[in-house]
Amino acid sequence: MIAEIVDKEWDVVIVGAGMGGGIAGRRLAEAGLSVLFVERGPHGPRGEQNGPAGDMDPLPLLVRGVWPEPMEATINGRTSRFHGGIGAGIGGTSVFYAATLERPEPHDFDHSAERPHPTGGWPVSHKDWLPHLEDAEQLLHVARDRDASTGAAPGARPSPELGEGDRRLMDAFRKNGLSPYRLHTGLKFLPDCMSCLGRKCPRDCKMDGRSAGVEPALRTGNAAVLDMCAVRALRGSGRTITHLEATRGGETLTIRGRRFVLAAGAFGSPRILLASRSSEWTNGCANSSDQVGRNLMFHLNEMVAIWPPRDAAFDGPSKSIGLRDFYYDNGKRYGMLQSMGVDASYGLITQALLGKFDRSIVRNVKGLRPFVRVPALAASKILGSAKVFSGIIEDLPYAHNRVVLDEQRPDAIRFSYTISSELMERRQGFRKLIRQRLKSLRFMFLGHEPNLNFPHCSGTLRFGNNAQTSVLDSNCRGHDVDNLYVADASFMPTSAATNPSLMIAANAIRTSAALLRDHRQDIESAKR
Amino acid sequence: MSSEQTTRAVVVTGAGGGLGQALCVEFAQRGCRVVGLGRNAAKLEQTKQLAGGGIDVRILDVGDYDRVTQCFADISRDYGGIGVLVNNAAVYPRIDILSETPASFMRTIEVNLGGYFACSHAALSAMIEDGRGRIVNVGSFADLSPLPCSAGYSVSKGAARILTRALVADLADRFPDIVITEWLPGILATTMGGPDGIRPDIAARWGVNLALNSDQSLNGAVFEQSTEMLPGRGLKRKVVDTLLRRGTKSARRLD
Repeated sequence: MIAEIVDKEWDVVIVGAGMGGGIAGRRLAEAGLSVLFVERGPHGPRGEQNGPAGDMDPLPLLVRGVWPEPMEATINGRTSRFHGGIGAGIGGTSVFYAATLERPEPHDFDHSAERPHPTGGWPVSHKDWLPHLEDAEQLLHVARDRDASTGAAPGARPSPELGEGDRRLMDAFRKNGLSPYRLHTGLKFLPDCMSCLGRKCPRDCKMDGRSAGVEPALRTGNAAVLDMCAVRALRGSGRTITHLEATRGGETLTIRGRRFVLAAGAFGSPRILLASRSSEWTNGCANSSDQVGRNLMFHLNEMVAIWPPRDAAFDGPSKSIGLRDFYYDNGKRYGMLQSMGVDASYGLITQALLGKFDRSIVRNVKGLRPFVRVPALAASKILGSAKVFSGIIEDLPYAHNRVVLDEQRPDAIRFSYTISSELMERRQGFRKLIRQRLKSLRFMFLGHEPNLNFPHCSGTLRFGNNAQTSVLDSNCRGHDVDNLYVADASFMPTSAATNPSLMIAANAIRTSAALLRDHRQDIESAKR
Repeated sequence: MSSEQTTRAVVVTGAGGGLGQALCVEFAQRGCRVVGLGRNAAKLEQTKQLAGGGIDVRILDVGDYDRVTQCFADISRDYGGIGVLVNNAAVYPRIDILSETPASFMRTIEVNLGGYFACSHAALSAMIEDGRGRIVNVGSFADLSPLPCSAGYSVSKGAARILTRALVADLADRFPDIVITEWLPGILATTMGGPDGIRPDIAARWGVNLALNSDQSLNGAVFEQSTEMLPGRGLKRKVVDTLLRRGTKSARRLD
């Protein structure tokens, strides 16, 4: 099998089989191209249900589809190593996601006098993204509610009945003058749907890079997977990549293709380009602009525990409410607030209260700290379980926030990131806005330190019309390299204020269409 | 009882006698599609007769690993999957440790420990694609204070208990619906046990009750005879549980 893969020159070699690579590969395989997915992690058994475990050593993590090496993060000048919830396997990180597939707002991309865009706007407007967003929603079976503030797509399926508790909670939000709506989720809601949010779905029910991407691609018969394979470098000369170098089980492999799609994620794709330095590509592949790896963005997550009204206590966490009332306010870019699908247990509340205590003026009073548990216990007993909501605050690009290559550990995720003062200001503004507008509901902020969402990483190979300030052109093709395309969140010039998955899928659709045009043009000119 | 357990195969090893035979009979009475595995054709035929003739019996030595793989692949194909595996087959050669040879010692390990592993491994490959299944490992306390002339048996049974925990460590978080439980039925009134032991048909009722319950919380649980053995709680845990009015978890029962 390996011999067949290595002997062949593939129409398209896709590096990374996550949401972007999976959707792009599906589209290209369906169009009849031969597609090879090269994936770092395993093509494991389909019945798994695990989440992104972190407290294990590398091999069991890799077996579970989790990126095996801890990431080395330098945040605000302090370096630490930890597991950031990044996937490695068929479906990538998306097999662990909560299937929240929300459309960004027009001002996330477009510049206008009323809502100026910090970069002057994306090279592709919101209006031009719409058909691709709708296309992605179809592929991912997005259930959209009628009262969604962004308008339902034609033919969209309604979500199943909302639970009693979520309905009461929605009423409570409405009484506060807010406009809650059903989150848009990529679940088929098959009979006995377990809503596998935050863990792998063992059935063809949660739609992710595996179930909506790689698996349909493989069913065409035009695609193959090379798993447990680490890509070391892209090789070629001038404006053309000819092959990639990879290692698999201690063996070095050369994989040839006519076109290459990088979809290794905003951490992985720039790292591979930087590792592709050669005598000709002295700064790495596609990096004459020195922009590869820069402008790394996350989202700031703001966790809020919200207690439902006393008569609406309900079993099970809230999973399906979204709010855009805090998205944009008074010239300030914030973001969505949405159900996280977990309850604020006694433990979580204790943690939050301890954090509060440790910052209070009584923190040095000896013996007082353990008593923090009493109000936490009281809260969890008297008020019932609070529902955890998460705010997603948009991040903006800064050249000094970047992914770096560790020559000694080429598979390690390593980055340097400083939380900008303007982001901290927006965070304060967002918290203030929530405090004002949730007025009659009981709630509590769960985080004290700013909380970066690592799986939401983006921006490290941004697209743009200017080859001096961006890596990719407006079709996500390399400015420097003709047969290189990018289909992951690296392309995003700003992070937008919604979960990135829908955008990644829409862009993978758009980029694969551009690739297909180039492929067909080649065939035409070869005929002539 | 879930639908998989009535349509997919329920596989019992060591089906030619003692507890294995009684388990086959009990499973058959509950309407399961039983496949009994054993070395001796005549004894398997007896099991089949006792179970009313409606069960499938196949010859297999669980110490012959290539045959194990083939046999489970055949069963999975014939029955559209394997719903339940009860690892029960074991040998108990009585032999003084001075008369034991390295080869004879390892042969007991190969059957009692290697057989559990081979059968679990083969059954798992039929379970992991849809992530559903049930494995019950029949165990014993032979490892706690080994009897004389029982070295191979005692070591293999102790190691088999560790195997159950190792299976749970590797699989429980990934496949919560492949439920793996250890069952220590105690000394039975069989040729391997003694005349004062528990009647195998009574023990089999407990074992089948356990095997036909696929609740996720049974993953890694241990049952002795008809009662769950709960892990010990430390003082701190007890205090927290009392404060939160969680109450003591009561042991589940199989009868």
